[in-house]
Amino acid sequence: MKTRTIILIASVLLIYTSNALGNDNQYAEAMAKNIQTVYRSESIGELQSAVNALERIASAEKTKWEPYYYAAFGNIMIAHREQDGTKKDAFLDQAIANIGNAKKIAPKESEIIALEGFVHIIRITVNPETRGQQYSGLAMQTLGRALSLNPENPRALALIAQTQYGTAQFLGSPTTEACATNASALEKFATFKSENPLAPKWGNRMAEEIASSCK
Amino acid sequence: MKILLVPLITLLSLQSFALVKISGRVVESGGDAIPGVNVFLADTYDGASTNANGYFEFETQERGKRILTARFVGYKEFVQEIEIQNENFEFTIKLIETINELQAVTITAGAFTASDVARRTVFRALDIATTAGATADIAGALNTLPGTQKVGESGRLFVRGGDGNETRTFIDGLVVLDAYKPSAPNTPSRGRFLPFMFKGTSFSTGGYSAEFGQALSSALVLDSKDKGELTRTDFGILSVGGDVGHTQVWEHGSVGGKIQYTNLRPYVGLINQEVDWEDAPVSLEVGAAFRQEVGTHGLFKFYGNFNHSNFSLYQHSIDDYDQKTRYDLTNKYHYLNGFYKTSLNTNWSAQGGISFTSIDEKTFLGDNLIGELQKGLHIKTVVQGSLTDHVELKSGVEIISRTYDQKFSDDAAPNLYSFDEIVSAGFVEADLYTSNRFVVRAGVRLEHVNLTRRFSIDPRLSLAYKLGVDGQISIAYGKFRQSAKDEFIKVDPLLDAEKASHYIINYQYVKGKRTFRVETYYKSYSDLVKYPDDDHITLTNEGTGAAKGLELFWRDNGSINRLDYWISYSYLDTKRNYLDFPYEVTPTFASKHNASIVAKYFVRKIKSQLGVTYSFTSGRPYNDPNTKTFNQLRTPYYADLSFNWSYLPTTSVIVYFSCTNVLGRDNIFGYEYSRVPSADGSFNGRPIRQPAPRFLFLGIFITLSKDKSVNQLPSL
Repeated sequence: MKTRTIILIASVLLIYTSNALGNDNQYAEAMAKNIQTVYRSESIGELQSAVNALERIASAEKTKWEPYYYAAFGNIMIAHREQDGTKKDAFLDQAIANIGNAKKIAPKESEIIALEGFVHIIRITVNPETRGQQYSGLAMQTLGRALSLNPENPRALALIAQTQYGTAQFLGSPTTEACATNASALEKFATFKSENPLAPKWGNRMAEEIASSCK
Repeated sequence: MKILLVPLITLLSLQSFALVKISGRVVESGGDAIPGVNVFLADTYDGASTNANGYFEFETQERGKRILTARFVGYKEFVQEIEIQNENFEFTIKLIETINELQAVTITAGAFTASDVARRTVFRALDIATTAGATADIAGALNTLPGTQKVGESGRLFVRGGDGNETRTFIDGLVVLDAYKPSAPNTPSRGRFLPFMFKGTSFSTGGYSAEFGQALSSALVLDSKDKGELTRTDFGILSVGGDVGHTQVWEHGSVGGKIQYTNLRPYVGLINQEVDWEDAPVSLEVGAAFRQEVGTHGLFKFYGNFNHSNFSLYQHSIDDYDQKTRYDLTNKYHYLNGFYKTSLNTNWSAQGGISFTSIDEKTFLGDNLIGELQKGLHIKTVVQGSLTDHVELKSGVEIISRTYDQKFSDDAAPNLYSFDEIVSAGFVEADLYTSNRFVVRAGVRLEHVNLTRRFSIDPRLSLAYKLGVDGQISIAYGKFRQSAKDEFIKVDPLLDAEKASHYIINYQYVKGKRTFRVETYYKSYSDLVKYPDDDHITLTNEGTGAAKGLELFWRDNGSINRLDYWISYSYLDTKRNYLDFPYEVTPTFASKHNASIVAKYFVRKIKSQLGVTYSFTSGRPYNDPNTKTFNQLRTPYYADLSFNWSYLPTTSVIVYFSCTNVLGRDNIFGYEYSRVPSADGSFNGRPIRQPAPRFLFLGIFITLSKDKSVNQLPSL
């Protein structure tokens, strides 16, 4: 009788633990799959599905900032591919909403702030003549804050380089400063390490592209 | 026990592994499929995106009561509680479009909105700074839009046959008593407020919201910026003075200030002037802004402006040039504006503001001193929000109080003109959207004026209908009133307000970076102040008038890379019988044809933005007392070609050069005549000219901030 009760409790526990373990695996797997999509996909439809999936994960995993982060990254990728300025802005608004949710969970996470800077940079592309000044200023300020939270964040540096490069090109001034920032971003990419298996890994290629036009 | 245990375990495992299928389709109200919608059970992983035909399908292990959610950009989120047992579910979900600013139809009749935030604007805050000929003056830039008439000797905004006084300026909803800096008679004045302070400018040439009262023809609504964005210090070295400004930003607030000193004396000494200056204008201006976010939903704004200016000149007699009178003006201006805005809940917000203006002006005419002291207080509260998804409501109350005192030193008895006017008003206005295509705005404004003890009710109505993706049509109607000018109320405080009715039809087509607008209107005036010839004491409200016109606007910044240009044209037919007019006739400030072409081009090779503005105004009426008719003669046409050049040698330095009237045309704004006939019985006259053929301006602006890529281009 006693043993049976123990078996009962044990089996119930087992079922629940395996469920809990399953949840963690489910999280890691679902994240891995959708992160791949937002990194690689060039189709707006695929990106939207991945963003939707990431938003669902976010609604279930209330203590994790990464699902919101990658959902926002996916929004930015859609905005980047979208041609219509009004729609571009609508997707960037979505990105900002997801970034806001991520910031509530991890207010001091440098990567989230850097992504916010990325949104400002994409805003410029809607109309560089009228938006360049305002949003490049905002981007630089936001990226500066990301860098102060983590001076080793290569993405913050690469995006600063991107903004400097864009401004210099727009004004026809020398790109020396942008190239120097970019070089140090490349160094940080080589040494970047994070204990978080889901830490962002993007940005290296963007920095390499700038580096090649710097030569 | 065994018997009990087995089903229990079976049940538990069933709950864990059996799958229920949830499927269906998501459509919009018209029945069309919406792809990409996120359909899921809230707080779980389980869900799917709809495919190209709007279908979705997913499986879940969840049991019991769960929330099914469907979410997509531009639609209201759908939520429904479902009870999951073992049966599959199939749903057809209808998503309702949200009425959002991006896609929704907007009322454009009479309105030109400039904003950094909104995307579908035809005119932007930055445009004000970079329009050649405007010299960074708000009124100067708006003068290139249709609906305005160029009145070169005034510098103010004259809209659709109304005089400059009929356009009122509002900052954060609070009226500004005198929006222009003092200027010598027949020389253009500049606005007191610098364009860079504002995040949005809405210039309405008629049919505006019930929120704005005491404006007969036009409302210029300026929204001051929220929290500063960057900590920065700015220096400006100008050919006519200099300025220094600093903005300090912290997490939830910012404070900024600017001091500007301008002195036209050296300039006037170098370039020959039409005006016989004794001391050319000198002015000191201090502006300060403080912003603080309060909690998560509140924002407090304070703005103060102090300006001291002085000049003196000699007015020469029309009959005898050598006979001259000294004219000396000193103006002290204070403006304080406090504003608080907070959201009450997700749908409603409240804002309140208080502004205080004091204008102390002393004018010496020869040895005679005229002192004018005006004080204004405006208190206003507005509550606005959504009653439902399709009804937005705005309502408010306000008190506009002003006192006016005038003193003459040459009178034996202290001749004192003064009045205290209190206008109490309330308004309510609702926007009703039937869809993203159609909106009606209906409002009503109640006013009470203490001097006349009269109540009034003014209705306002406008509607807009979207014809397709790019085109829309708007119609507006409204009754408007404004207290008579100070110079009349001080004589007769019982004078009723002047009134106008506006009827406007507008068509607007916006595609990509191209905008086309056409607008036609009719405006009737009643109760205008009138007096018999040369009798400025017997005032009545018997004046009448009307204006009608057609306006065109085209803007294109997408056809040629880096070129942005717009063309505007206004046709105006107006007549009025007011003041001492003997019959209904076109007033001197109204011109039949007004046109402007503005172009801006960025040349990367020389790191410069070049701007050109050409303005044309057909001849204006003037009255020659030597003829038997009244206001029947016309001046020559007015034309001006202005040029500006912004050069950016590095990202934090701008060199700015501008020149008005490059071709040096001798524009004549009108003629003035002697009040008394000369010996042969005729009246001597002389033309009113520009103070100088050209105005040249050179400035160097330097910005210091942590971030070097910021410069003052947005604020120029």
